[in-house]
Amino acid sequence: MTAPSPLWSTLTDPLVRQNPVMLQILGICSALAVTTSMATALTMAASLTVVLVLSAGIISIIRRHIPDAIRLIVQIVIVASLVIVIDQILQAYLHDISQKLSVFVSLITTNCLVLGRTESYARLNPPVPSMVDALGNGLGYSLVLVVLGSLRELFGAGKLLGWQVLPLAEQGGWFTPMSLMLLAPSAFFLLGGLVWALRSLRPEQAEPAEFVPPVTREAGE
Amino acid sequence: MIRGIWDRETVALLLLAAIMPMALTFLWFGGSGAIGRLALALIVAGLWHLIFMLARAQPPSFAGAIAALAVAMLVPEELGMLQLALGISFGSVMAELVFGGWGRNVVNPATVTLAFLGFSFPAAPWPELVLPIAWAAIPAALIGVGFGVMSGRIVGGAVLAGVFALAFGVEPGPVLPAAGVVLVLLVCDPVASAATGGGRWLNGLLYGGLVVLFMLAWKTAAPVQIAVSAALFSSLAAPLLDEAAIGLWLARRRRRHG
Repeated sequence: MTAPSPLWSTLTDPLVRQNPVMLQILGICSALAVTTSMATALTMAASLTVVLVLSAGIISIIRRHIPDAIRLIVQIVIVASLVIVIDQILQAYLHDISQKLSVFVSLITTNCLVLGRTESYARLNPPVPSMVDALGNGLGYSLVLVVLGSLRELFGAGKLLGWQVLPLAEQGGWFTPMSLMLLAPSAFFLLGGLVWALRSLRPEQAEPAEFVPPVTREAGE
Repeated sequence: MIRGIWDRETVALLLLAAIMPMALTFLWFGGSGAIGRLALALIVAGLWHLIFMLARAQPPSFAGAIAALAVAMLVPEELGMLQLALGISFGSVMAELVFGGWGRNVVNPATVTLAFLGFSFPAAPWPELVLPIAWAAIPAALIGVGFGVMSGRIVGGAVLAGVFALAFGVEPGPVLPAAGVVLVLLVCDPVASAATGGGRWLNGLLYGGLVVLFMLAWKTAAPVQIAVSAALFSSLAAPLLDEAAIGLWLARRRRRHG
């Protein structure tokens, strides 16, 4: 068996093994804010992935020409321009969803995930690996958003992508929607639960203990 | 470390004994519905304790029964078995067992269960506590404080806040019995409340103050909802109150000893 090519592992690593949201806990502000329904989660995930891939490509192309002292400004200008384009496209073609996403599309500019990837990878690598890495991270972020969004919509409203999956009690079914799932705290619980599950399956992701309790003995020993 | 007979389970059993008067009154007046809810809560909480014992070697605790009792008494009515089981699972796992079991948790699992169910199903009505349960809370508090498993300072602080409110002419109405029951069941939990002397006074005062505030400003809330919300906030603030008490003590010490 041949080892997987570096590009392939650059693409697949951020999906689970190095997931930016669940391992590095980056970009969770938007991940928590837009996941009340699948539609908004998918739109946000797609917008962020597009912005991330394009900005990584552009920054990687001009990486040898960016003066180090102002590199963050350059990166933010590039990301912000792309975000404005995406925002305008969303407002033109998906007006309802862009209303629901409100300010969070514009806030992709300051998303830690975008700046993190451009600063730590695209700035130092050629365009193709940079864009593959950006795509992988965008997909990793999208994966978390879709999981959170589907859980919250399913249990908060009994729907998936607007379709009534679980019959509501008030319409003769058996399911009573959990309003908590549509409130912000549930996203924290669910994300915490996901991180817990993932780190139980892959213990190498768990952080080392910060504190070792002193050895205690029973009185009789 | 010298423990003698005072290990964690002694405290849990004494707490359980202390709240027995309330539990018996509750079962006496609640009938078969109360017994069913208590049984469900005990089974679900017990199962999770068992699972964590098998998976993580965490010793199970009688504190699970205390939480189950508090949930059965205060949980919103007209919830299905599935919803109740979900709420109890969430409370006992997320508020207690993941932290390593009773004694290491930050918030009382019953408080979390009640808040979870209250926020999840806002349409379900909160229970109307019969008055004898509230009377039974007084001997429960006396037994708890007498054996040293509940803090007299917390009870004193809450009573003090209530007396202040009465002095300013606040009509307690049906909130007073609910606040008393929740004070004994949830706020006096020795794990989730403040641990320093001054912090405990503050904890009681904060709980009483929050109950009065909610009563005056939150017109749509049921009495039990007011008390449970106040208990949730005051137990979240407990570490802060301890920190404040320790800070005050350090400042006093520095002034005295230079």
